[in-house]
Amino acid sequence: MQEITIYNYLFLGLLLFVIGIVGSILSKHVIKVLISIEFILTGVNINFITFATFCDSVSFDGYLFTLFYVGIGAVELAVALYIFYLMYNKKQSENIENYGDL
Amino acid sequence: MNGIDTPIVFYPLCALTILFAVAAISFRNIFHSLLSAIMVFFLVGVLFYVLGSEYNAVIQIAVYGLAVPVILGLAIMFTNLKKDENKASSKLTFATLFTGGLFAIAVLSIIRFALGEVDFYGVNPISAMSAFGSGIFIKYVWAFELMSLILTIIVVGLSLFKKEGRCRK
Repeated sequence: MQEITIYNYLFLGLLLFVIGIVGSILSKHVIKVLISIEFILTGVNINFITFATFCDSVSFDGYLFTLFYVGIGAVELAVALYIFYLMYNKKQSENIENYGDL
Repeated sequence: MNGIDTPIVFYPLCALTILFAVAAISFRNIFHSLLSAIMVFFLVGVLFYVLGSEYNAVIQIAVYGLAVPVILGLAIMFTNLKKDENKASSKLTFATLFTGGLFAIAVLSIIRFALGEVDFYGVNPISAMSAFGSGIFIKYVWAFELMSLILTIIVVGLSLFKKEGRCRK
């Protein structure tokens, strides 16, 4: 069987990134859009880890960038959900088309 | 690099990750989407472990696999005011749980079987952890402090935001 190379991992990251982009464009539900954005971040994290493992075996900078990215991504999600919760109290709707006047 | 370049580990992980990611964006029920997203984040954590970054795997599973779904689930519960019209019968629920449990056991045994076959230390864990420590506390110490500052600002900002909302009401 063919061995797994760096390109396979990069392709997996690309697929997750594309799934996240497509989901964030096509979804109508606000929380589903946020989940899709997290998929985008996860795809980027896979690329960071892959490059750090395969190309940078001394300083492992990609591992650190992934750590920062996870922290910032979780905070971004918390802020987005809080804004959504405040807006939901006014709009009473989960459809993202109703949130154009944020 | 042993373990990292083994197809028996990579292909099932990759297939399951893509499958659950597509399911997460295609389910109509938001709670099913959330469950699929949890599976994606867990599988990506396993992938990080396979790639040799145990620390990132733990953080991925702890933050994205456990903490973020709790926040998302709370948001869904706070906002989903509509009554569920098509409630599943108890038999259907039992069948779903049973098959889901069987599937989870099968996936876990496949992964365990695959993990038992290979050696996972393609990356030297001690050198990776030492690089982690020197990166956080020496090389990128300002970025690390900036991130902690951002987290503090956001916590304070959210609490002020809440107070501001109360005053306006």
